[in-house]
Amino acid sequence: MGNLLTKVRLQPLAVVGGSDVPKLDTPPKQLKDAAGYTYMYESANVAVSGAAEVSITPRSEDQLLRMTFSSVPIVWQSEINQEYQELGEALGEMTQLDEGDEWKVDVAVCQVACRVAAELLANSFPAPRIFSHGPKSLVFNWSRGNNNLYLTISSDYLSALLSSPERIKRRIEFSTKDMLEPALVFRGLLSAPPEQPVVSTSKATSQASGFVE
Amino acid sequence: MFCDRIRDGDYLYRHSVHPLSFHRDIFDQSRLFHLVYNAVSDAILGSLAWERFVPTHEYIHAYGCRLAKKRNDKKRAEGKLNRNNRQIYCGAYGIRARFVRALVGAEELAEVASADITHVVEDGEIAHAELKIVLVAGTANVESTKTAILDRLWNASCGPLTHICDDDDDLDEHPSANLSIGRGGEYVDNRSYLSRLWCVVRFHLCSWLWRHGYLRYK
Repeated sequence: MGNLLTKVRLQPLAVVGGSDVPKLDTPPKQLKDAAGYTYMYESANVAVSGAAEVSITPRSEDQLLRMTFSSVPIVWQSEINQEYQELGEALGEMTQLDEGDEWKVDVAVCQVACRVAAELLANSFPAPRIFSHGPKSLVFNWSRGNNNLYLTISSDYLSALLSSPERIKRRIEFSTKDMLEPALVFRGLLSAPPEQPVVSTSKATSQASGFVE
Repeated sequence: MFCDRIRDGDYLYRHSVHPLSFHRDIFDQSRLFHLVYNAVSDAILGSLAWERFVPTHEYIHAYGCRLAKKRNDKKRAEGKLNRNNRQIYCGAYGIRARFVRALVGAEELAEVASADITHVVEDGEIAHAELKIVLVAGTANVESTKTAILDRLWNASCGPLTHICDDDDDLDEHPSANLSIGRGGEYVDNRSYLSRLWCVVRFHLCSWLWRHGYLRYK
């Protein structure tokens, strides 16, 4: 089985300087959920407007990671934008479900999820599928082949899990503080999948990408 | 007693209902199992149907159709039933009990102290079995553990056994067509005719014993 880190080193980011960063198609400037919160993407900053204001300082790791994601063929940016738009709406709807509904999610959890989604979008990550375990958490899920990647999001924790049919390959736990350090999260994600970079490799069909079944 | 203990080789079934198990009308395996944390018992709970009381496909699907009908009836009574939230039973996936018990000691799941399935009649359903996963005291991130558990459950699931309930034959496009094959492969019932016949006889015997109070174990 290949080592992902080896694969990552094969990416252009290892040889291209920061000033030569290939430009992504312009992502949408904001991700708005149905609850009315707007998650702004500005350059390498993410700011959340609404009940809370959060901004994230750009870091060199962010640039490197963006290069990693952008250096292999990806799904059309417009398609990703559309999917994240739908994701934002779906997240908002989950907060507005009736109490007792199996997919009802707390607003606080949804806000954190939107913040994470905005970071994923800013890095041109394919849009995830979502589900919940109840009001206290949301899970983002991507599948590629038989491998699954999950991001479990609660108001206090962010957890990444990578699995194959045979076993759980890796679990990584982050605290709320780490959620504000997206480069750390993405580094964890990048180091998890074993065979290929965590991006899609072909134009999406009905789902987000080749990364999503 | 052959009516109570769920053996390692026994199948448990998880019923897939639209829209709960779907995302944008596409089946989402992550939504098949719904796990709930019970703080009192410090355990993660889930529901399945035990093959002992659903011995053939007909019984498995009858359980699923009743499940959807009960939910629809409840929403209808509350005046909340609409086209979007109508519950449509699509089919069932099977998982052997041994895979649930194997969660104890599984790689990257050190927080699972015990995992078992017990026969617990619920809501009048004699086939109902309770999945109970007790966590090590002090487990901080239960939500993450739920994700890991359902990933393991899905990877051990086989199927689907698809079905269209009589209540749903008005649908032009039934969502059961969108179910995907379980990670454990297709469900194959390789029992002989005599074996199936014995399972049905045993089911009726166990049901009779249950209804007459001989199986009121905890």
